[in-house]
Amino acid sequence: MSDSSVTVLTQMTARLLLAPILVISVAVLVNGYASVGDGFSAGVIASLGLLLQYVSFGRERSDRLLRLRLVPAAAFAGLLGALAVALVPLLRGEPILTHWPPPGSDAIYVGSLELITAVAFDVTVYVLVVGCVVGFARAIARAGEGVAR
Amino acid sequence: MTLLFAIAVGVMFGSGAFLLLKPDLFRIVVGIVLVANAANLTLIASGLSRGVSPILPLDGETPSDPLVQAMTVTAIVIGLAVAALLLSLAYRVYTSHDTVDLDELSHAEARRESELEREEVEI
Amino acid sequence: MLIVAPLAITWVAAAALALLDGRRRWVGWLAAAALAAATVSLAVLTVTVVDGDEVEQVVAGGWPAGVGIVLRADALGVVFALLSLVVVLFALVHEVVAGVRTRGFPALMLFMATGLTGLFLTGDVFNFYVFFELAMISGYVLSAYGGETRHYGAAFIFAVVNLLGSFVFLIAVAAIYHVTGTLEMAVVGERMTEVDPSAAIMIAVGIFVAFGVKLGLFPFHFWLPAVYVGASPAVAAVLSGALANIGAYGLLRFGGELLSQELALGATVLIVIGSASVVYGAVQALSRRDAGEVLAYSAIGQAGYVLIALGVGGPVGYAAAVVYAIVNSLNKALLFLAAPLRGWLVGAAFVVGAFSVAGLPPTGGFLGKLELFRAGIDAGSVALVGLLFVGGALSFVYMFQIYQYRYWRNERLSDPSPALLRAVALTLAAVVVVLGVWPEPLLLAGREAAQNLGAGQ
Repeated sequence: MSDSSVTVLTQMTARLLLAPILVISVAVLVNGYASVGDGFSAGVIASLGLLLQYVSFGRERSDRLLRLRLVPAAAFAGLLGALAVALVPLLRGEPILTHWPPPGSDAIYVGSLELITAVAFDVTVYVLVVGCVVGFARAIARAGEGVAR
Repeated sequence: MTLLFAIAVGVMFGSGAFLLLKPDLFRIVVGIVLVANAANLTLIASGLSRGVSPILPLDGETPSDPLVQAMTVTAIVIGLAVAALLLSLAYRVYTSHDTVDLDELSHAEARRESELEREEVEI
Repeated sequence: MLIVAPLAITWVAAAALALLDGRRRWVGWLAAAALAAATVSLAVLTVTVVDGDEVEQVVAGGWPAGVGIVLRADALGVVFALLSLVVVLFALVHEVVAGVRTRGFPALMLFMATGLTGLFLTGDVFNFYVFFELAMISGYVLSAYGGETRHYGAAFIFAVVNLLGSFVFLIAVAAIYHVTGTLEMAVVGERMTEVDPSAAIMIAVGIFVAFGVKLGLFPFHFWLPAVYVGASPAVAAVLSGALANIGAYGLLRFGGELLSQELALGATVLIVIGSASVVYGAVQALSRRDAGEVLAYSAIGQAGYVLIALGVGGPVGYAAAVVYAIVNSLNKALLFLAAPLRGWLVGAAFVVGAFSVAGLPPTGGFLGKLELFRAGIDAGSVALVGLLFVGGALSFVYMFQIYQYRYWRNERLSDPSPALLRAVALTLAAVVVVLGVWPEPLLLAGREAAQNLGAGQ
């Protein structure tokens, strides 16, 4: 996949951008309960950063450098986590997707972070989105390598 | 505003439908993506209201309708998954048949079928 | 809480099994066990809903109704959900016994079961669309299952045509929200009567086109034969026996409950299109030799009967549509699963399916045809009764043709299929026969399911 159109400059930029993109995605994720942001958009931002690595370094090198091989499996782990958050209220006899602590009462604060189960749900959505997009990219890249050989 | 949305949706759906009629697989995928986004835009347009963001509106402020936005983001996600699926299917077709042209594809299939039939007769 | 159980079981199992290699036998059996558990819980729910004559309802998040997303189980929904899960279960067991060929297959079947359960048990129009896409996307991936590269083209066209239908449906959902200001099915049905008729008719047309594509009705059928012919038996059974239920259910729910005035207005059109499907499917099926092709065209024809019953309307017509849809879906699953098999008693299973399609006793298909005749007589139309009779006769001829080709010509040449595979097909055949000789549950389900339909007429 060493395409001549991918220059050293692109690769440098891609590498430099990765960390800020991931930080911004986490910021958007935790921001979700005070301002604009949620798990889905944060996941899309993070996965765009990872896609940039695939585009500039190719599948094998990105997989090796960033250990991305397990990310697609994380999609299903994220889905399981989201389902767990949705279904656990059933054990307490409440309808699905009831969040805790309930509206109106105080949340647990860690610094300026509010911890409620909706945050847990959004984190699983984040993992799910990143896993799915990386999985799509890897599947298409693998199909492409099959042709090249 | 509604008229503007209607025109935009119409143009997008029309171009999407036009691309769907092409024999090229990748053009068809782009056509489906356009149609999907025309549907998303219709969803947004179905509950067009101006207001503050719907997180805890204060007295006297009218929030905009959050439901259409939630629906649209869900529809966008589905559209993304569908686009990825179609692209990989199209890619599979391309790698196994060396063509993305539907006409050529059906020719190739007809040829292969007649070959198979001939083999059967020989057996 | 019973209403959440089938959805939760299939969904969690699907997500968990997606991480494992589905080609291993124990993974497949685990998937089948999860699906069986979901089916049992759904059967319990069906009994409570149909027998107790009540509607189970859960609003997600503890929100008041009208704000939160509603899961709702009424007779129509649970009957179709149970039917679809049974078909998916049989197909999954069939494939696990025969040997799964790709790692994602069991998980995909479970995802499809999740989508089907969800869409039949939701009371929210948009939620319906989301679950519907979940089931359909699993269907698109499954339609490429089987390993033959020449099948990818058919799978691609299947996906594109059905996606176009889905997006037309999505636009109709947006329009419903715009004119009624709600997504809750029960409220939509009430408010729809006050909506400007021209807008309501546009919505109805959009929804009819969307579900017509799913069902493979006559003018929208062109994708169907290519997909069914190349697909592996289990996948063809699921596509025609479970996924096609979405079309029948959608027409009943949206046409009969939400847009019943518009449905009554378009009754003649429905009957004409339905009759065209019946005749076209039967004639095409007659001219084919390959079992898969005959069954595919037969599916087009059988979908036409559901549409005719819907067009006749009234309690009798809707009940006939429900009963026929149930019987037809079981027939198709049975025939697709039994057709490629060889050996002792498999011919009998196939004959049960063939009798059922033709509508002969003692099979469930007899009941379906009987209900259709009642609907036809209720409508007082000689032409309709004549068409039903001719359609039934034609289907008997083409089913007998395949039987002749498959079982009389070269049975000696091929080895018998594994006994377990034959047992799966025979069990399904037994279900079809039991429905025929003990018709009360089926007729009760049809009556109860049709109870709330056509209220606005």
